[in-house]
Amino acid sequence: MTVSQRLRPLRMRLLMLLAVIGPGIITANVDNDAGGITTYSVAGAHYGYGFLWMMPFVALALIIVQEMSARLGVVTGKGLADLIRESLGVRLTALILGIFVFANLANTVSEFAGVAASLEIFGIPKFISVPVVAVIVWLLVVRANYKWVERVFLVASAIYLTYIASGVLARPDWTHVAAQTLSPHVSLDAEYVTLAVTIIGTTIAPWMQFYQQSSIVDKGLKITDYAYERLDVVLGSLFAVVVACFIMIACASTLFVHGLRIESAGDAARALGPLAGTHASTLFALGLLNASLFSAAILPLSTAYVVCEAFGWEAGVDRSFGEARIFFGIYTALIAIGAAIVLLPLKSLVQTMLASQTLNGVLLPIILVVMLRLVNDRDLMGRWVNGRGINVLSWVMVIALIALTVLLVLLSVFPGLVGPA
Amino acid sequence: MPFVSELTGKVVADANGARVGRLDDLIASTGGNLPHPPIVALVVKRSRGTLLIPLCDIAVLLAPAIALSKPIESVAPYQPTEHDLYLVRDVLDKQIIDTNGMRVVRVNDLELTRVNGRFYLANVDIGGLGLMRRLGVARTAETVAGRFGRSVASGMIPWDAVELLPGNQPMRLKVPSDKIADLHPADLAEIISDLSRADSSKLLDSLDVETLADTLEEVEPDFQASLIETMPDEKVADVLGEMAPDEAADLLAELSDDRSEELLNLMDRDEAAGVRKLLSYPEDSAGGLMNSEYVAVRPDLTAAQAIAYLRETADEAGTIFYVYVIDEADHLIGVFSLQDLVLAKPKTPVSEFMHKRVVTASLLDSQDSLAQAIAKYSLLALPVVDDEGKMHGIVTSDDALDKIIPTAWKKRLPHMYR
Repeated sequence: MTVSQRLRPLRMRLLMLLAVIGPGIITANVDNDAGGITTYSVAGAHYGYGFLWMMPFVALALIIVQEMSARLGVVTGKGLADLIRESLGVRLTALILGIFVFANLANTVSEFAGVAASLEIFGIPKFISVPVVAVIVWLLVVRANYKWVERVFLVASAIYLTYIASGVLARPDWTHVAAQTLSPHVSLDAEYVTLAVTIIGTTIAPWMQFYQQSSIVDKGLKITDYAYERLDVVLGSLFAVVVACFIMIACASTLFVHGLRIESAGDAARALGPLAGTHASTLFALGLLNASLFSAAILPLSTAYVVCEAFGWEAGVDRSFGEARIFFGIYTALIAIGAAIVLLPLKSLVQTMLASQTLNGVLLPIILVVMLRLVNDRDLMGRWVNGRGINVLSWVMVIALIALTVLLVLLSVFPGLVGPA
Repeated sequence: MPFVSELTGKVVADANGARVGRLDDLIASTGGNLPHPPIVALVVKRSRGTLLIPLCDIAVLLAPAIALSKPIESVAPYQPTEHDLYLVRDVLDKQIIDTNGMRVVRVNDLELTRVNGRFYLANVDIGGLGLMRRLGVARTAETVAGRFGRSVASGMIPWDAVELLPGNQPMRLKVPSDKIADLHPADLAEIISDLSRADSSKLLDSLDVETLADTLEEVEPDFQASLIETMPDEKVADVLGEMAPDEAADLLAELSDDRSEELLNLMDRDEAAGVRKLLSYPEDSAGGLMNSEYVAVRPDLTAAQAIAYLRETADEAGTIFYVYVIDEADHLIGVFSLQDLVLAKPKTPVSEFMHKRVVTASLLDSQDSLAQAIAKYSLLALPVVDDEGKMHGIVTSDDALDKIIPTAWKKRLPHMYR
């Protein structure tokens, strides 16, 4: 057997992996969007390493949820909205999608806020940057080929690696970091709990489940490819959480140690000081801009597809406006309203971004319960239903999330409910 | 006319007034191939399990509560058969193929009709009104729309124009799907471009090789490639043999070298040779666009003999607009149309009525010049000859004009989700 013949199986397997990779890694990168970067930066700056203990659990949760959504897509060959409509009926579909559209509007606002914040670092006021970007994004998706758009953004998202580098270059005390990661300590003040829900909401955003499943269905992956897809999902999730942790570490070791809070994106940019020195702001702004642009492009589009898919309306960017009125209507409305809200005189763009991710966290249990219902349906999944272990873990997750949300609501209504820990 | 959404959830009580359960689903029977399947049983959900009640035991269906005609103890449960179609489980909210409108739509509601005391599945509601009815706001929606002087879209499709997606058909059900095979390949291609990958491959699997080849010819090569990705090589080779050689060559050009080599080896020798020859020319040249299936005769044949020859061989040739006349060395010396042939006296040799000045193209001519020639001379096909005047194939007008006039009607690979 020649060398090339022996390498063939390896080459084939690598090619298989590369062909299948996409949904997981993309979703992971989309995860670190404007809302994500802001959330992790704020968490690091305001609580130092105080949230690191949570991240392994968040990673586990993300992997479980993404894997379920991938499995649903591969086994049924249908998108999540499709499944919800076919298995759970119109009323529930209308309710869930109504919530979904609302949450996505909030997320779109967050993306445009990210665009505004990043361009503000370059001195461009939001009244110019946001409308221009909104129009560009709209045109980009409607006119350009999506595959190309996706690739460009994916390549540009290598910028996230700068956070990892920055985190390392800040020379934190790694033993201290490790110790903090391993010792859970919970402060029961409102901001801590809110940030906890926000972190979960931005890492496991509900809209990501719909997007990833559609992406997988679109690739036409079969059960036989599933092992590769699972690997893709796990790797993507881990990558997302690792970047998140490093963002936290970078901000913790630069901002938290000096007691600086983040009120604007410029503050967060300072965290990249150790890596980029004077060019910290530029690098940060570019990373944030890239993340916001990509998500601003696909989020409204994904929402429009999902809604039209569920209700049987014509959808597709290759249709004319007359043919797919509702599809284009939803898409345009999301971009227009999202951009408009950002232009309102808001207190702080950072706060806006955080609020939208908190909303994600609050709504996540609903989507999870729905997914659990679908993934345990033997008629739908055959022998690929959840094993008992995963079911237990998932339900623990759901209960923990709901508990956190209830706690959050209580604490915001009765601020002094629980004394300092 | 009752809608299924209005019936489900109703309480079912027996002749003594004792509550039996709630109506969960209705079973229609597809055996007997009626255009509108009769309802044969009800699925009633009880506190412990479900009960199938045959329709003959139902006294009243269209009432606030459904009444049985017997006490519950004397009801013999309905025995499931392989022709059972569960309306809620298998049809409602699912995607179906509308063979009238040639599109894929989603079922929002189902309308029943009552004839001679029996109920039949009449129409499928795919319109906005059906959606509103499910959400319980149909009347409100109609009132609101009425104020604006419009009406809510109500889209009803008769059941006999509907085809369930092969992927959605319940395992034990035997539903004849000849409606799909009767559709024009261009319409089939349209429907396929609306389906997800899994559903479209199942639909393609249900087609015979000829229809499959015709359908594939209606879509762009990159879409073709993605559709046959999961098909076994033997089947693809059969399909390639059925397709016109130039189409087959286009498809093979889209695949990886390894796969296309394997497929060519599986194909019939002659067919493969024809396709290989076409593959050897640049894609956009006359050689790459031409079809090697054409009809050619010797100049000494009479009109009658030529017609007889056509009857024998025209099956192989795709297009017989024109018949070409070639000498022993394959040089193109003339051409005549079917019209010429039919109008000529049977004993006339073709050399007398053929056109000697033939408009030709060379193997490496660009698509532009082909299109110009075809437009200028109003041809349906253009023969392709080499430098010595030997004939190699014909370029049909649709292929020549393909890149000039955008083929918007040819289905493209759906991108970004779709």
